[in-house]
Amino acid sequence: MNKKDYSALRKPEQRRLSRRNLIRLGTGAALGAGLLRPKPTFADDDDERATSALANPIPGGVTPFNPFGVVVHHNPLNPAHRLAVANISDPSQITDFDGFVGLTHIRGGGTGTDTGTGASTILAYQADMGFSKGKFIGADGRHHRGTFAFV
Amino acid sequence: MYTGPVGSANLPQQIHDYNVHIDSNDVFWMIPLDDDAVEVDFDDARARLRVRRLKVFDDHDIANSLTLGLGLPGDLGFPYPKIAPVAPVRATVSFDVEWSGIFDVAEIHNTAQSFKGSFLSTGATIKWSAEQPGFQFESEMPDPGRNLISVLGREQNGAFFA
Repeated sequence: MNKKDYSALRKPEQRRLSRRNLIRLGTGAALGAGLLRPKPTFADDDDERATSALANPIPGGVTPFNPFGVVVHHNPLNPAHRLAVANISDPSQITDFDGFVGLTHIRGGGTGTDTGTGASTILAYQADMGFSKGKFIGADGRHHRGTFAFV
Repeated sequence: MYTGPVGSANLPQQIHDYNVHIDSNDVFWMIPLDDDAVEVDFDDARARLRVRRLKVFDDHDIANSLTLGLGLPGDLGFPYPKIAPVAPVRATVSFDVEWSGIFDVAEIHNTAQSFKGSFLSTGATIKWSAEQPGFQFESEMPDPGRNLISVLGREQNGAFFA
């Protein structure tokens, strides 16, 4: 297996704004966010049949609120590339991946309702969503097959 | 989700931001699903993603999501508005996303990012809803005119890029 180690590439950003450093800043909000971070579920992964092993992130991405935000290992779609898809960056969030990916960038509307009062209002939304479906080399170095939603 | 007019997405007007959080290995907003939640017919430029009652977090806004609840201080020489810190709350979302139709096609071999494959710029629609204590949301009916850009790809990256 030829698994690449991207941890060195991530270290500067992690030093700059790690979860630990955020919590040191002392806000309950940050602590709450850390506590609510989900843990992935592991499956038996002797073959490529397992579906929920821990994947590795793509090495690149963006830092939308630099220097305040975390590094985002995701390349947002740019509507300017709608008719020039050759110019997109890697749309996958998972590296060491071989399969199908889908991404959307949709803006629309809908109805929000305060369930306490019943009052409703028209709201706008932006949906940046997608999926990855295929095989990948997980954080454990093994080959897996999985389906993921980007939410 | 924003209080501004439909089609807008201005950070100071954002009131909900639903996502599954970055996982413990830094993978951005990805959650494992059952295999049948995603159907792909790449040769026909079609795909569908359907999920019911997925447990997510509402971080209130993208700034709080990406600062892990710290918000933004405003000014300090950075071009970001002041965003108050907000802790995430639990929510559930359901969605049905469909990709179809082709606007553009490309074969990409990107050595700088170590990815390659066949990519389609497609149409897309979404119908979705959200629920959390005190609030629920139901999107309008699927409307192809709401799509700004959507992509389908059959790709290889990282160790599979060669």
